[in-house]
Amino acid sequence: MLTINKLKASIGDSEILKGLDLTIGPGEVHAIMGPNGSGKSTLASVLAGREDYAVTGGKVDFLGMELLEMDATARARSGLFLAFQYPVEIPGVSNINFMRAALNGKRAHEGLEPIAGKAFLELVKEKASLVELDGRLRNRSVNEGFSGGEKKRNEIFQMAMLEPKLAVLDETDSGLDIDALRIVANGVNSMRSPERSFLVITHYQRLLDYIVPDFVHVLVDGRIVRTGGKELALELEERGYDWIKEAVTS
Amino acid sequence: MSVGAKTTPALGPQTIRQHAASQKQGLAHVSHLSEILSFENESNDVIGALLKELAVPHRRTERWKYSPIAGFWKKHKPATCVTIADSNCEAQPVPGLDAYRLVFVNGTFDPLASDLPIAAGVVCMPLSDAVRSGIVQREISSVEKSEWFAALNGQFAGEGMYLAVEKAVELDRPVLIHQRQQGAGVPTFLRHVIELGAQSQAQVVNWSSASSDASGSVNTLTEVHVGEQAVFTLDKVQDESGEVHHLAFEAVDQAANSTFKIHTMTIQGAWVRNDLQICLSGQGCDAHLNGIFLPTAKEFVDNHTTVDHREAHCTSSESYKGILYGQSTGVFNGKVFVRPDAQQTNAYQQNANILGSRQATMNAKPELEIYADDVKCSHGCTIGQFDDEALFYARSRGIGEDEAKAMLVHAFIGDVIESIAIPEVAMEVRHRLSEKHNWDRWDDANLL
Ligand SMILES: Nc1ncnc2c1ncn2[C@@H]1O[C@H](COP(=O)(O)OP(=O)(O)O)[C@@H](O)[C@H]1O
Ligand SMILES: [Mg+2]
Repeated sequence: MLTINKLKASIGDSEILKGLDLTIGPGEVHAIMGPNGSGKSTLASVLAGREDYAVTGGKVDFLGMELLEMDATARARSGLFLAFQYPVEIPGVSNINFMRAALNGKRAHEGLEPIAGKAFLELVKEKASLVELDGRLRNRSVNEGFSGGEKKRNEIFQMAMLEPKLAVLDETDSGLDIDALRIVANGVNSMRSPERSFLVITHYQRLLDYIVPDFVHVLVDGRIVRTGGKELALELEERGYDWIKEAVTS
Repeated sequence: MSVGAKTTPALGPQTIRQHAASQKQGLAHVSHLSEILSFENESNDVIGALLKELAVPHRRTERWKYSPIAGFWKKHKPATCVTIADSNCEAQPVPGLDAYRLVFVNGTFDPLASDLPIAAGVVCMPLSDAVRSGIVQREISSVEKSEWFAALNGQFAGEGMYLAVEKAVELDRPVLIHQRQQGAGVPTFLRHVIELGAQSQAQVVNWSSASSDASGSVNTLTEVHVGEQAVFTLDKVQDESGEVHHLAFEAVDQAANSTFKIHTMTIQGAWVRNDLQICLSGQGCDAHLNGIFLPTAKEFVDNHTTVDHREAHCTSSESYKGILYGQSTGVFNGKVFVRPDAQQTNAYQQNANILGSRQATMNAKPELEIYADDVKCSHGCTIGQFDDEALFYARSRGIGEDEAKAMLVHAFIGDVIESIAIPEVAMEVRHRLSEKHNWDRWDDANLL
């Protein structure tokens, strides 16, 4: 599904990803944990194709394609999805029109006709119920005036609409109360399948009680320094990140 | 209706020399117009004197600082086409709009293409007929006394629309003025006179179009009096191909408790200057001024507006939005005067601009002069770029960059277009903009 090989990326003069390796197979759920500022969001942004970051080395293969050669739109249309840590507000563009454009973009890429109005609305209804997204929010401007939890649920709604092959969730749990967390996790779990992979970025172990990962990676200072099973997350929860940092530097 | 409250600053010797030079040049350049236009104006002498007296705008004139007028001095030629049948254009540019119609081709009224209202309490005819039959008296208006180009209009405009709506009469359909500019080098002068009686209601659409080989200039002066409690809307759409220099003055006078709404929508035009002056001369008036402009390539669009709050309890609300592409240039100058008697004024002005390319230029200047103390005035002026975060967010969902930009554009100007009272006009504006900017479609507002 995804193979990241010695990925290096920087912003301005500072190198943030310093040779990162990661392989994700189909149907797998990987979690990336790490202290603040270790480069988790940078990795997510570089994968999604944000041009603010300069990729200075390495390769990324996504379903046999050179991911780093594709622009953000093409990556999304090929099945990559990023749930943003900070979803963007777009005043004046309704959530639903935004999603229609997104879905039709993907369909055009697959050689399909734009979706009919009625079928689209039915799909919206179905997917919105998955994350209990209020009907009002569908017609409002994208993320405008949404609460933190509503924004995160909207991200999962969008993911459900677009049915990606690989979804990267960047701190989708941050700022969620326990009910919202459960809703979001249920949304994700209902989409798990042998063909769909997830990369779940989180700072806390809590989310992984609900979305149970196959692998847990620890990202420190732009590199993956340790990989384990879901018990690694529990260990990090108990002992914090400092012992790993020390183990790495010594 | 003169609005300029400020006194002219003293001219230094340098400025005086320049003034004299540009004066001479200006008059020399337009002296041939009388041969071309063969129109005998009765008040020639008065206007002639004004033209000698008023400053010909040039680069150092404050109000014309950003508006290069050299194009006006290009050699003009007489019109060869004066009917819509001889042009390559429809008489009615707005599909599905049920409206009365006055068509002017190169400044000449085309009766066969027109459809004048015949209704009790409504007088609507070409201005030349109204003058000939003594319905209107030629008067020198204050805008002619203060603006050289308006005085020039006074000198040469012999045609236009005359519309008078009597007290309490509501016009049952909009009146569409279609101004067509056809062919090279034609100087066009039009004068529209609109008088709304007390409590009357009317809607006018002023649509200007031009052939792709059109050049020359269009100088339109529209004078509007909105009577007490009357409601008047004016939708101006400028969609001119070719290289036309387009200059439009609207001088609007509102009586007590009247409402006036204007949309100025510049879709296309090589060089466009709109000069809108609204005078709130009775209490309780309501004025709405909205505009959009989306120039591309080397197009130039200038909107100068003045709202003069002379009396108490009036509201004015202004929103102009521009998106500038290519190497285009935009100008916005919005003056709001609140005079000492105009207590409890509520004045709002917004000018928001997006530079859609690195080579585009926008000059924006709000000017508020407030001499009353119990007033609410707010204004905002922004010049920005497309929101990169929003663009990336949209692209990360699989939306193409151009489509994402179009979405942001529609969101930006959508509220202005939605505030157009006539749906067919709003629809056609969307359609023409979509064609110009290669947007796939702009039906999102209606589809879901
Ligand atoms: N736009 C930026 N400009 C400069 N530095 C940045 C920018 N974005 C992130 N960084 C820096 O890159 C490092 C990694 O940030 P980030 O990827 O957001 O970390 P994480 O998501 O793991 O908390 C941090 O030190 C941060 O300060
Ligand atoms: Mg982060």
